[in-house]
Amino acid sequence: MYRNRRFIAGALIIVVAVGYLIYTGVRETSVYYLTIDEFLSRREAVAGEGVRVAGRVAADSMQWNASTLDLKFRLANFAGSGGVDVTYNGVLPDMFAEGRDVIVEGTYAHDGVFRARTLMTSCPSKYEAEVPKT
Amino acid sequence: MIELGALALRLALVAAVYAVLAAVAGARLRRTDVVASSRAAAYAVNGLVVVATAVLLRALLQHDFSLEYVAAYSSSTLPTQYVAAALWGGQQGSLLFWTLLLTTMSTLVHLQNRDRNQALMPYVTTTLMTTAIFFLALTVFVTDPFERLPVPAREGADLNPLLQNYWMMIHPPSLYLGYVGCSVPFAFGMAALVTGRLGDVWIRTTRRWTLFAWFFLTIGNLLGARWAYEVLGWGGYWAWDPVENAAFMPWLACTAFLHSVMIQEKRNMLKMWNMVLVLLTFTLTIFGTFLTRGGVVSSVHSFTQSGLGPFFIGFLGVVIAVSVALLYLRRPLLRSENEIDSFLSREGAFLFNNLLLVGIAFATFWGTVFPVISEAVRGIKITVGPPFFNKVNTPLGLALLFMIGVGPVIAWRRSTARNLRRNFTIPIVAGVLTGVALLGAGLVGNYYAIVCFSLAAFVIATIVLEFYRGTRARQALMGEPPATALVHLVNKNRRRYGGYIIHVGVVLAFVGIAASAAFRVEEQRTMRAGDTVEVGGFALTYKGMRQADNPHVASMLAEIEVARGGRVIATMFPEKRFYKRQQQPTTEVAMRTTWREDLYLVLGSYDQESGLMTLQAFINPLVIWIWIGGIVMVLGTVVSVLPTAAEQRALAAALAVEERGLAVWSE
Repeated sequence: MYRNRRFIAGALIIVVAVGYLIYTGVRETSVYYLTIDEFLSRREAVAGEGVRVAGRVAADSMQWNASTLDLKFRLANFAGSGGVDVTYNGVLPDMFAEGRDVIVEGTYAHDGVFRARTLMTSCPSKYEAEVPKT
Repeated sequence: MIELGALALRLALVAAVYAVLAAVAGARLRRTDVVASSRAAAYAVNGLVVVATAVLLRALLQHDFSLEYVAAYSSSTLPTQYVAAALWGGQQGSLLFWTLLLTTMSTLVHLQNRDRNQALMPYVTTTLMTTAIFFLALTVFVTDPFERLPVPAREGADLNPLLQNYWMMIHPPSLYLGYVGCSVPFAFGMAALVTGRLGDVWIRTTRRWTLFAWFFLTIGNLLGARWAYEVLGWGGYWAWDPVENAAFMPWLACTAFLHSVMIQEKRNMLKMWNMVLVLLTFTLTIFGTFLTRGGVVSSVHSFTQSGLGPFFIGFLGVVIAVSVALLYLRRPLLRSENEIDSFLSREGAFLFNNLLLVGIAFATFWGTVFPVISEAVRGIKITVGPPFFNKVNTPLGLALLFMIGVGPVIAWRRSTARNLRRNFTIPIVAGVLTGVALLGAGLVGNYYAIVCFSLAAFVIATIVLEFYRGTRARQALMGEPPATALVHLVNKNRRRYGGYIIHVGVVLAFVGIAASAAFRVEEQRTMRAGDTVEVGGFALTYKGMRQADNPHVASMLAEIEVARGGRVIATMFPEKRFYKRQQQPTTEVAMRTTWREDLYLVLGSYDQESGLMTLQAFINPLVIWIWIGGIVMVLGTVVSVLPTAAEQRALAAALAVEERGLAVWSE
């Protein structure tokens, strides 16, 4: 029994270590993950903080400068209304286009612009093409 | 024809239900004829699923666009091999494919155990067929692969271009084989619990199946990484995406299980723990399938998208509830017959290796489902990205690497100081020297990477020492020449030395991962034809743009001249493709691989008017060693899976004991 107890103590050390790593990992790296509607309703509260927002690239909103790699677009909700202006600098992901669902990660400033550090498009296996039913 | 497929699935569902009922009834009533009929039903399920799959495959190959699935995932211009791969390219097809693999394995298991494991087999049938019922019910009632369009489409929407490459043809089948393979040891574990025959027969019977599943999970993970590296074009191979984690977690649990069963075989310990691990592995494979298909985590639309979520959650709930109840009921029988004597023993080392593997799996699980949990608990979605996984799993992974060196050579029960000195002096010296040498060579900055290389040297030294001592002993004992002695050594104990070879592969992968994570160089530059950019010793000159066109894709290729030390060593063509059917661009990476590093070029963007091209260049050191490590793991698995005479005898002996204790059923 004594030996078993010692072993449980050893196992506990690992469990505690894993727990500690997870706890600090979450504290230091987590960001809010909001849909565009949630974001719009609390944007002032999260201004200046790292946040991840899911929405849809609004139609006719994309301005892309291929020589400076500057991108501007409006991130709207899934109905295509409302939204926030997003700026980004860098190469565009292949799946990025108007009307597509994207996730942006970055910070929102009080000047009303969301500066994205990363643009994410969903994993390709998630893109299930819609076949017109009529 | 299509109706035949749909009918086959329905009949298969009925047959599977019958198989479960007959197996349980046969076992309870001790009626061999009823058990035999359940076996026949299981074969029938397999046959019917084969028919259904063949019908779907035929519809794909004949471009029958009246079928929704065919119209959604293929087109008439799609190359034939990808049309066939579309079988697992979409949700309905991939679930059908899962069922095909599961029922085929069930057939193999039944054939293998026709004359043995009489007591266990009915419940093995029950478990496998219950799983089959779940997947069949999904394809029959929820997401029917044979659904027709009201009006046949004139043309298909095509397979997603990112899936149109050969990695995608072999990666999903391999991963699915791994997933499905895990259900065999699980089924035997459940059977052992139900019957109370908790000796090591179920473990010895399924050892090869577990290795088989582990083998394909390993390959599946590596191929997935390779696919991401080559196709996604962001310069890396692993992003801790939920879908990647879905494949990684069962691999971890399966690895833990593979190791801990050895303790049960040798010392009759950890019976409970093994049951928990086999349950965990199986649950994680179902959870993994759910993550890839159900879209609970990564998708913005959460559950609603495919409607599969509740079914998977329900099935997982049933599996966990039944298993936990059985574990609880059998608790007295699962008690260990031995205790661990000392920390410094092989049992102790294996236990810690297990805890680390499960710890990594748990951390990965936690990070993957964190958004869902935080939303449920705090009402707001909080997400963690790759930094979380790297932060948590790097130290755990390094501790695991250390245990890879310790576990196989430390003595059973209790090590003496002499044993420790004998086995670990040289490896520790090798590890420390490596670390000092790397620091001396100016490789400062990333301490995790240096620790990783030192540990790698330590582990390799323990393995080399094992081979060396074993060979020497045989030379002395048998008077054999070194090469013969080495071959015989491995042959005599394939499982052990195969395991060592797998470990070498794992160490190589560790080294490749550490080097490419810590010392990667990245550069992004917008250039005009004639411009040159310097990246990590390479001079990359943009010579101009070439274009190509065919009915399926149009492509642009940037001609990049690569020079090092003033000498031109290669011309590379990073490419952008435009898939016409889907109106979608894709990136085709250009890569130059050497033993030392990969030069990885991506055509970021091209502006026709200004002629400006943006090039992304990555230098990823030692990446090739990850894939070489994978090949070494494959070789090692092949070595250790080949049966040895001694092992066959051990299984036969265990079975004999088991059968003797079994009342002979009346005919």
